[in-house]
Amino acid sequence: MKRSLRSWLWRVPIDQEIDEELELHIEMRTRELIDRGMDRKTAREVALSRLGDIATLKRTMTDLGRKRDRDMRLTLWLEELADDLKFAFRQLKASPSFTLVATLTLALGIGANSAIFALVDATVLRPLPYGNPDRLVALWENSTTIDRSYVSPLNMLDWLARGQSFEKIAGFAPGVGGMVMAGLDGNAETVSRQWVTAEIFDVLGVKPIAGRTFTREEDVKRSNVIVMSEGFWRTRFNADPSVIGRELRLDGSLWTVVGILPRDFQLLGDTSLWAMRPITNLNPRARGAYILQVVGRLKPGVSIKAAEADLAAVAGALSGEYPQTNRGRGVAIQPLHDSLIGRDLRFTSMLFLGVVGFVLLICCANVANLLLARATVRKRELAVRSALGAGRRRIVRQLLTESLVLSFVGGAMGVAIGAAILRVAPSLIPEGLLPATVALSFDIRVVAFCAVTAFLVGLIFGVVPAWKATDFSSAEVLGSDSRTMTRTGGRLRGLLVVGEIATAVLLLFGAGLLLRTLLAVDAFDRGYRAESVLSMLVDPLGSKYPTPASLQQFFDEVEAEVAAVPGVASVGWAESLPLDFFDAGGLSFEIVGDPPVDQSQRPTTEYQIVSPTYFSTLDLPILSGRVFDKTDTRDSVPVCIVNEAFARSLRGRDPIGLKVALRPAGSPEAKPSVREIIGIARQVKGRPDEIKDFVQVYVPMAQDLSDDMFLVVRPKSGRAEALAPSIRAAISRVDTEQLVSVRDVMTLEDIARTATSRHRFRAVMVVAFAALALVLALVGVVGILAYSVQQHVRDFGVRRALGATTSDVIRLVMTDAARVVAAGTVIGLALSAASGRLIQTLLFGVSPLDLQTFAMVTIVLAVTAAVAIVGPAWHATRIDPATALRNT
Amino acid sequence: MPPKTPNALLHGALDALILKTLTKGPNHGYAIAKFIEETTEEAVLVEEGSLYPALYRLERRGWVDAEWGTSELGRRAKLYRLTEAGRHQLAAETATWRRFSTGISKVLFSR
Repeated sequence: MKRSLRSWLWRVPIDQEIDEELELHIEMRTRELIDRGMDRKTAREVALSRLGDIATLKRTMTDLGRKRDRDMRLTLWLEELADDLKFAFRQLKASPSFTLVATLTLALGIGANSAIFALVDATVLRPLPYGNPDRLVALWENSTTIDRSYVSPLNMLDWLARGQSFEKIAGFAPGVGGMVMAGLDGNAETVSRQWVTAEIFDVLGVKPIAGRTFTREEDVKRSNVIVMSEGFWRTRFNADPSVIGRELRLDGSLWTVVGILPRDFQLLGDTSLWAMRPITNLNPRARGAYILQVVGRLKPGVSIKAAEADLAAVAGALSGEYPQTNRGRGVAIQPLHDSLIGRDLRFTSMLFLGVVGFVLLICCANVANLLLARATVRKRELAVRSALGAGRRRIVRQLLTESLVLSFVGGAMGVAIGAAILRVAPSLIPEGLLPATVALSFDIRVVAFCAVTAFLVGLIFGVVPAWKATDFSSAEVLGSDSRTMTRTGGRLRGLLVVGEIATAVLLLFGAGLLLRTLLAVDAFDRGYRAESVLSMLVDPLGSKYPTPASLQQFFDEVEAEVAAVPGVASVGWAESLPLDFFDAGGLSFEIVGDPPVDQSQRPTTEYQIVSPTYFSTLDLPILSGRVFDKTDTRDSVPVCIVNEAFARSLRGRDPIGLKVALRPAGSPEAKPSVREIIGIARQVKGRPDEIKDFVQVYVPMAQDLSDDMFLVVRPKSGRAEALAPSIRAAISRVDTEQLVSVRDVMTLEDIARTATSRHRFRAVMVVAFAALALVLALVGVVGILAYSVQQHVRDFGVRRALGATTSDVIRLVMTDAARVVAAGTVIGLALSAASGRLIQTLLFGVSPLDLQTFAMVTIVLAVTAAVAIVGPAWHATRIDPATALRNT
Repeated sequence: MPPKTPNALLHGALDALILKTLTKGPNHGYAIAKFIEETTEEAVLVEEGSLYPALYRLERRGWVDAEWGTSELGRRAKLYRLTEAGRHQLAAETATWRRFSTGISKVLFSR
């Protein structure tokens, strides 16, 4: 009652309301005064004056009136909202199966989206968990042939000392290694360790939770100091605070623990210990050692561009002073966030977000479909309300409230699903896929995302059905049969399902391409034929093997000892492993005697130091020439074996017998090492998804030794990893003082699997989402079919009565379904063809317009759709003509 | 209820008078002013300039309600009506007045 009066009143603008009210007052007072004997003019003047200053009065009243209206609107709005909500809940409770299906659909869609949002949030949106992360950058060296190489510690120090742009610069070793921690309970164990320079934690702004980090004095004094991760401290030392200051025996030396770093801190890789690598007063030869991943903190207000220009000048000066190592070497800088997260991962996150976004759209379409079907049924109810005086906006609002209630209930369930997914996600995501700095977490941001999504989704799937449902002239609806009104609603619903199918086809196509990529990556020819090979990095530390000869002797002894282990078929050494090549930039080469080539045009090659037995251990065929043997020694003619890509680069010349001059790339003037080519080895893959065969030379370890080498072992039979303990034992029989670190124990298959894990993860995720999309879309198909069969019961009944056979009826239903599915498929395939190129960078060994994938998707869709429509079709054949005609 | 200053009390008094007037049925602003003048035998002169703002305030509080009706002159008039909340408010104001005036009387009329 209150409401209708007010809504009546509001139609009068506030100014008019006040004018009319005051005018009436003045007029009545004037009349009163005239009755008492005043003349009209005086009476009016008196009446006016009794009201005081009219202008002020009006202003006050306008002000109060506005406030009043605002309050009333709010009250009214809240009252209506409460009514709508009450009504919405009653409506939803009245049809529990509809409510259940709709909320579950939405919960699935929103839940999947929230989990992927958490990934995108962690990889793209959220800043790094360091102080002032926008001033943190990654620094690299570059040259004419390499975009990014790690940094020599001496160059890093000069960048800081001579450049003007940085507050601090520090570095860390990109990989995580192991240290043998001896002793606490008699058993030695390998603990993960990352080398860092003294100031790395100051650069990042990381505060220890106990103790301190490294100091400059410790760097100068070359102290053996480590800091420990909180996790390791808690599990291994029971969070004992007295660990700080204690000395631990690691790799045979004593190291002092100076601090504990918070649990969630990691650089690249996941480690328990950070050990300080001193960089003060290094041997000048270290200028050629590109070993550090460098992080700098820019001075406030300095842009990356300015810093790049600044360091370019420094690098220019350095290349003049140290031409041997620094000629042609510059500096590349990028935001630390980009460097740590990586383009590939960010792209993958966004791809997933796009995919689940489509899934959510399909969910919306399904719920919209349900609502449209319901709206047809409810049309009478709504028409009655309309006839009773509710405006269209009012009814639309009521219906929207219902869909928003649905979406928020679905959203709340989606939050739960998202939380559950994120709980199990860490065990599903392959190790090493996410950098350690990225933590997937369920937090308030995810909940907020769900709330916003639920709201938008509620609007999206609610508006159109609500608008359509209220599109009536009440008389027509009330007076007519419900069957005649389904026409327009039916067409809209058909279009929605076509859209769903098209979206599902698009996702299936993407999934198909990624699956084919995975298969291509998994099935590539690795080049070597050994089934199972165990590898481990053997790193003799300290100064026990000061000369190459003593080091060589150590490696030889280990090889002999391991070869004697029962079950071992073959043992070899290699500086790096297939599929695990680190892009070190390689060497430039020239064939001796060929016309000189301009330095920038010289081809480059990977350089791998191996033992003679490496080829037989991996069963890697030598295609022509000979393999290394005992006659290739330090004092004999320097030799090398080249791979097929190298041989091809000679354009038909037989490489064997040619001499090749090798120089570090970027040091064109360096004295070359000249080697005679003695054999051609079969091509192996350096990386699983390399596009171009890479050029490689093998060099015998007797002629150029690396400080640490991978031991590769092939078993006589069975799984290689079973040999690991006896091989470790064999190594420690040679290394009696336990000064050797043996780590990174894995099989070559493990390496291959790790290398393909990104492809696998991507393919599995997209396939899973595409399958979900397909199921949801088919649910949509079944939905409209079932509904249309139900609506045409009389129609079918008549046909049966007139003699239509079961197969006629089935054909009738099928035609309906086939039209929708076919239209959706065609549109979906067209969209796929148009957009396949968007994910080209993620593909390998398959074209974005792959015909087989198109065919596969079409077949999958045809088969699943056929299965899906069996139900409705069967239902249609069961219609009994007599009952159908009687009941409707 | 917070202690009232004399000003606020007068303010409240006007409110109470308006509410009391409306217990006799819906009426427009002029009639309310007139009624107060006559009933109090012009002992309380309603400041006409403050009558209307008071009405708007009461409306905002939800103590009175307004609708368009017709005046004695046959013109459109905004008619105010007491709401349920207004009735409660009037009862409270009345009780306060009674306490206040009894208290004052006790002092003034004591020997």
